[in-house]
Amino acid sequence: MYDILDGLINSTLGFGWPSWLISLIGYVLVATLLFAVAPFQMLFFTYYERRAIARMQDRIGPNRVGPEGIFQPIADGVKMFTKEDIVPDAADKRVHLLAPIVVVAPTMFMFAVLPWGPGMVPVDLNTGLLFFFAISSISAVGLMMAGWASNNKFALLGAMRAVAQMVSYEIPAVLSLLAIVMMTGTLSVVSLINAQGGLFISTNDVAGVPDLGLGWLIFTPVGLLAFMCFFIAALAEGERTPFDIPEADSEIVAGYMTEYSGMKFGLFYLAQYILNFLLCAIAAVIFFGGWQGPGVGWLYGMAISPTNPDGSWIFNLLAGVLGVFYFLAKTYFFFFVMIWIRGAYPRLRVDQLMDFGWKFLIPLTLVNVFSAAIWVAVTSWGVADGFGLVEGWSPMLRWGVAFVTTLVLNGAAYVIVARIYNSAQAARNRFDVDELRESLALPR
Amino acid sequence: MNTLIQLIFGLLAALIVGSAVMVVSVRNVIHAALWLIACFFGVGALYLLLEAEFIAVAQVLVYVGAISILILFAIMLTRESEGARYMVSGWRLVVTALVCVALFGAVLVPTIFTHTWNVPPPAVATPGSPAPPEVLAGVEDLGRGFVFSYMLQFQVAGVLLTVALIGAIVIAFEERARRRRVLTLAEEHEVRKRQKPARPPATGERAPSPQAAPMSDGEQG
Repeated sequence: MYDILDGLINSTLGFGWPSWLISLIGYVLVATLLFAVAPFQMLFFTYYERRAIARMQDRIGPNRVGPEGIFQPIADGVKMFTKEDIVPDAADKRVHLLAPIVVVAPTMFMFAVLPWGPGMVPVDLNTGLLFFFAISSISAVGLMMAGWASNNKFALLGAMRAVAQMVSYEIPAVLSLLAIVMMTGTLSVVSLINAQGGLFISTNDVAGVPDLGLGWLIFTPVGLLAFMCFFIAALAEGERTPFDIPEADSEIVAGYMTEYSGMKFGLFYLAQYILNFLLCAIAAVIFFGGWQGPGVGWLYGMAISPTNPDGSWIFNLLAGVLGVFYFLAKTYFFFFVMIWIRGAYPRLRVDQLMDFGWKFLIPLTLVNVFSAAIWVAVTSWGVADGFGLVEGWSPMLRWGVAFVTTLVLNGAAYVIVARIYNSAQAARNRFDVDELRESLALPR
Repeated sequence: MNTLIQLIFGLLAALIVGSAVMVVSVRNVIHAALWLIACFFGVGALYLLLEAEFIAVAQVLVYVGAISILILFAIMLTRESEGARYMVSGWRLVVTALVCVALFGAVLVPTIFTHTWNVPPPAVATPGSPAPPEVLAGVEDLGRGFVFSYMLQFQVAGVLLTVALIGAIVIAFEERARRRRVLTLAEEHEVRKRQKPARPPATGERAPSPQAAPMSDGEQG
């Protein structure tokens, strides 16, 4: 971006502007582009979700506005803008106004480190992955503000539920990422994707194999378990259906959004769908290689890039289009899975939610971190690291041993933790039934 | 570039100092907590300006994302938010101010007198220069520091946190036998229906028709 603008302004037009101004223009351009793209993703997602869930429930869904109802989200947007903005008399006016902003702003921040295609990332931070999750935790503050400032019982209850859920499920999400970070040895999102090239093995060091871009981390046992835990935690962070207790409309009206109307409500809605998009996107990036796929690496190898300055721009375009296609296809598929789960599962109770997060997901992710350490030790250590046993093995043998060991470890951990969890839940249910019997004075 | 950095630093410093002043001057405790979050955020941005990315992100993750949420929870769950009754005045105000200033000074004064100031900034990356500037306080440096140079401190902090965690569990642990289960509406309805024969017929004027009884019970539940 900087180079293109520098070439255009200073070499072609000869203005001789200072470098900081060119950087600033570049960042402003990228930010404008993202601010335009994000609401359109949200509009598309609302339409997509309504049509898909309607199909699953044997309905038709919105199909009146435009061909197949494609303009329905725009009509909804117009409705949101023209509705009256109601602020309750007893509300804390300023905090009530600020809350939707504090909820939306972090989701926009998170786009800063999201890579769309090869060489297409707004900022390649060294700590991009951590940045993403640190920023996402800010929106909890906004939810708390919304719930408290509305001065409404339901809003406060919803906010409490939302924040408790987000804080609890952040831990399994970050722990499952820790395993991935240990395997790839990087926190930068771009290097994470680069590490997922090659063929089914998350290293590029097997000779004679073309770069098919299929070395996704999901194909390793560690990555698979991490993905399952991460996706469940992502459902909870995005307040998707099995975990949508913060806005359970049959219990607490609309949760923290109860006292919001018009475009302020629209902002909460926007933030939620953008967050869902981002969670699907980051799942695709971390576990499914982001833009990696057959052909992208080959095309990008011939394009203009820092390592290859005299490539052809047409390959930049082709690699970009193919990469964005792969990336969006994976992202939309994950959103489809979220809709699918919404169509299939009922809502959890609060105690079930907390039990599942703390007693099932966290032990599993902890075992997974241990597996990741074994994986790293077997695949990349040597005598220098004090692990001379694997010195001299071929990469394929090392990979095979690591695969089998971690598969056995993770499988055993899953079975054991699931059995313990099941028996604990069963004992609890039995206890509840006993107590109920006592209170009902039923004969045993 | 330097002017821009100075300008951003000035804005951030104004944000931090301004919100810190607001924290201690607003009456509403919740508002004070929100200003405190703004202050934490400004400090995180300041770290980012110093190119300490990891510390900046950790600041946001720990302080903005977790600690401030705990503060808000604690305020909301403990007492009412209007703090006017808890204002200190008179000689207690003087003593409080003195203690606070002394503690702050105990940290600040040694730092001011022992720190080497006017350290030249690292070379700014220009497009022509071959080597990029070193990242200060990168994740790898921090990790090495934790497991090599500062092993003891790291372990002690870990043990302290574990003890705190176990303590929290012991305090919050509820004996299963003592726990009272919250009944659902249907169960409550069932309980009342079963308890009704034992209850004396106080509401005698109600018509004992079989259709009316469950409906009125449902409304009570």
